[in-house]
Amino acid sequence: MGVRSRARSPITWSLKNDKFTPYFTALIKAFQAQHPGTKINWIDQPGDGYEAKVSSQVSSGSLPDVVNLPPEFAYQVVQAGGLLDLSKNIPTLTQDYVKSGLNAYTYPGVSGTYGLPWYLGTDVNFWNTALLQKDGLNPANLPKTFDELVAQAKIMHDKSGGRDYLMSRPPGILDIYNSGTAMMSADGKKFVFNTPAAEAIVDKYTAAFKAGYLPADVLTKSYEGNSALFVKQVVGWTTGTGNYIQGTAQTNPTLAKQIIPSPAIGTPPLYVQGISVSAKSKNLPLALAFAQFSTNNDNQVNFIKLAQGFLPGTTAAGSSPVYSKSDGTPQGDAAVIAYASLKTAVNVKPAAWTDAMDTYLAQQIALAMTGKQTSKQALDNAVAKSNQLLGP
Amino acid sequence: MPARRRIRFQRWFSPWLLVVPALLWLAVFSLWPAINTGVLSFTNVRTLTGGEFVGLTNYAQMFQDPQLRDAIVNTVLYMLVCLPLLVFLPLLLALLVERQLPFITFFRTVLYFPVIASAVVVALIWQWLLDERGVVNGLAQQLNLTHAAVPFLTDRWLLLFSAIGLTVWKGVGYYMIIYLSALGNVRQELHEAAAVDGAGLIRRFWTVTVPGVRGTMVLVAVLISVNAMRIFTELYILGGSTGGVGGQDVSVVMLIQGAGSGANGQLGYASALSVLLFVITVGPMIALARLNRSADQ
Repeated sequence: MGVRSRARSPITWSLKNDKFTPYFTALIKAFQAQHPGTKINWIDQPGDGYEAKVSSQVSSGSLPDVVNLPPEFAYQVVQAGGLLDLSKNIPTLTQDYVKSGLNAYTYPGVSGTYGLPWYLGTDVNFWNTALLQKDGLNPANLPKTFDELVAQAKIMHDKSGGRDYLMSRPPGILDIYNSGTAMMSADGKKFVFNTPAAEAIVDKYTAAFKAGYLPADVLTKSYEGNSALFVKQVVGWTTGTGNYIQGTAQTNPTLAKQIIPSPAIGTPPLYVQGISVSAKSKNLPLALAFAQFSTNNDNQVNFIKLAQGFLPGTTAAGSSPVYSKSDGTPQGDAAVIAYASLKTAVNVKPAAWTDAMDTYLAQQIALAMTGKQTSKQALDNAVAKSNQLLGP
Repeated sequence: MPARRRIRFQRWFSPWLLVVPALLWLAVFSLWPAINTGVLSFTNVRTLTGGEFVGLTNYAQMFQDPQLRDAIVNTVLYMLVCLPLLVFLPLLLALLVERQLPFITFFRTVLYFPVIASAVVVALIWQWLLDERGVVNGLAQQLNLTHAAVPFLTDRWLLLFSAIGLTVWKGVGYYMIIYLSALGNVRQELHEAAAVDGAGLIRRFWTVTVPGVRGTMVLVAVLISVNAMRIFTELYILGGSTGGVGGQDVSVVMLIQGAGSGANGQLGYASALSVLLFVITVGPMIALARLNRSADQ
């Protein structure tokens, strides 16, 4: 085991925030106690500018030995040769971690796995029952398909005179995925999401937008968001993590009592955070040991107790009753729905998908929804631009 | 002898030694990045991967970029509207507050307040005011001035002019202070002589005040045109990272930021856009310098 190397030089570990400082301090202390002579240097890097900071570390060859990277960003670092293939270095990888989490760190055209799933999230639907009832909808008959959602959005719009909304977010790659469209070709070399099925879903959104079922400012990224409008009780539906109701209860207890959960419409999205190891680490055995230690079942379960709403990325956590049996409250139902959703959840964002591509897709869809171009033109333009941004 | 020793220490290079720190600073943080930007604009380098020389490919790609036309129109229009407003409004305000009246310091301070505030914070406040469900729309609808929300942040031109309004409101105090110091150099006797000759307020403004502060006006105009060409924060916050609906309100700097940021950022293409921005920024500066020179002659 690498722990016998007893490296004296410091291992560095980047994290996005210091919200959980006592947890991390204890974690590091425990690891150092197991590996006498080891000194871990924890670098806390706030979320703002995280990508730029890590990019400069990769460019200058000073990437920390163990680093927290989301799958899309890890892919860019993998392409620069910055990350270690963990499938070659951890024999029990597939037994220890959930498949969907590992899949997020496995990239088309690249062999290997480049991150250990650390904590996972997915979307659960949350509905404001009081607003639904006020606007003529039945909370016992929640929409289960996109078409049902649009139909109920019409009822809410008509009944409230256009003041309240059920739908309040523009289409994105999750909708494209749910139309049955693959974002990329099988070899992962180009984007191919300009399909008739994807056009059809954009057309449905366009029709709903033109009919006034979505807020007009939903098409810009300065839009305050469906979550904010849900809290203001202008919008009847939002999505969130499994503990969304508990979080709302702290800021808006009246609203929290009106919320009920339901499973996501279509395939639930998977959000993954993972721990990767630098390919150029000078303390490789120890770095691997620390990456595994920080993502082992005990430490992940303890971490999730603090990071409520997320789920551990270990297979061992699946046997815990915490995630499989509801106490009968909407909060308990939401937790169970969240864990059950993880089994079918998919990280719909291709590893090569960047913010620039996402922004361009949003721009093109907005032009289609405002009638300045067709949905086909929008998707053709977005695919062409994404392939150009993808590079050779 | 002390005098002889002083002479011995004064060599030909002594003045250069004094400017070396500033020259080094300039070379490392201004000159080298500028040269490097020019070099990178001929490569396909990305944030994490080295690139190779691609000739004029980035420039060819730039002129095929449909968003660039919108970005140039927005940026130039932004500059053309901001320029007269921020050249004359602060001058008029400076003329008002240069008078020694009770509480005049208070009014000067109030007018300067927006300058101190962070551009991001100010833009967020404006966004909150102008949002579809914001204060302005709420008031307008309550007073029955409009039936539907005015799309300040979702209409292409309303968003651009909202951003211009924000820039003017925030910048007017800064340029007012510059004009205040310039007005102190305009001789009072000229005003008195013009008044004796029968010139009214407006006539004296154009024939005495404006010529007296013309040099400052040129300086202010140059500062405004350069700042306006680099417009980013106001549009980015008010219109979001998409640059309004469908990216119709992007500026050239927003395009540069979009192209160059992220782990897969196209630094070569972003550099080519930066070179273009430099060229179109230098144009108005040269025009203003020529205008000033012809007025001198």
